[in-house]
Amino acid sequence: MRDQLNEAYHIDCYLLRQLSEEDTRAFETRLLFDNALAEKVEAQRSAHRLIRRYAWRQERGRLEAIYRLLLEEAEFAHQLKDIFI
Amino acid sequence: MTTQTQDPIIDLYRDSFPDFARMIRRMGGSLDEAKDAFHDALLIYMEKEKAGQLQVRSSRKAYLLGTAKICWLHARDNGTPLPLPENFDPAEAVDEGAEEREQSLLESLVRSGRKCMELLKAFYYDHCSMQDIATRFGFNGRRSATVQKYKCLEKVREEIKSTQTYA
Repeated sequence: MRDQLNEAYHIDCYLLRQLSEEDTRAFETRLLFDNALAEKVEAQRSAHRLIRRYAWRQERGRLEAIYRLLLEEAEFAHQLKDIFI
Repeated sequence: MTTQTQDPIIDLYRDSFPDFARMIRRMGGSLDEAKDAFHDALLIYMEKEKAGQLQVRSSRKAYLLGTAKICWLHARDNGTPLPLPENFDPAEAVDEGAEEREQSLLESLVRSGRKCMELLKAFYYDHCSMQDIATRFGFNGRRSATVQKYKCLEKVREEIKSTQTYA
């Protein structure tokens, strides 16, 4: 398990650009010859994208709720009404 | 009369959105367009703030209004909303079916393991520490939370491989 955790951590560091230039080059060289690792990297890259999409969806819901909340404030609502009258 | 709230995003929203709406109205846009672009800009703002990458030169409001204007112009000219993914590569956007497959995969992952997605969001998006995650999700400690995070990540990776979303 420790090896798996370390590998996932290392892939994260690579994808999040937290490796030094030297370590990045070494990692990319490994990717050229290790298809299994390359596959994991691409899957983890996609996982990052999915997590971000999940987070955006939640945050959009939160922002819609804030908008509705502010519309209940008379001054805010009147300003918008005046602008788009 | 407006009141200060505990949530700085609400205060920023209240203070900034009417000015942005006025700007978009002058440029011929609608209230819905203004709101969508403003929310895109707030997403970018909040994401950068969480990641400690927010660099505000003048004021938070000016930063937000500038970003929102770019989002609105982008949506008007391209028909697609911002924000774009980090390290966006136009070559990756050629496959129009990928978007739908990814959306479908996300729905499936949420259905089968919302807690896992919450945990991964806490780590990768909210940048919570493993100790915070352990406390929030009821794990025994950092080590236990780290193992669970790995298992959740592995589950997502396996699901991705099986659907070949990244192909």
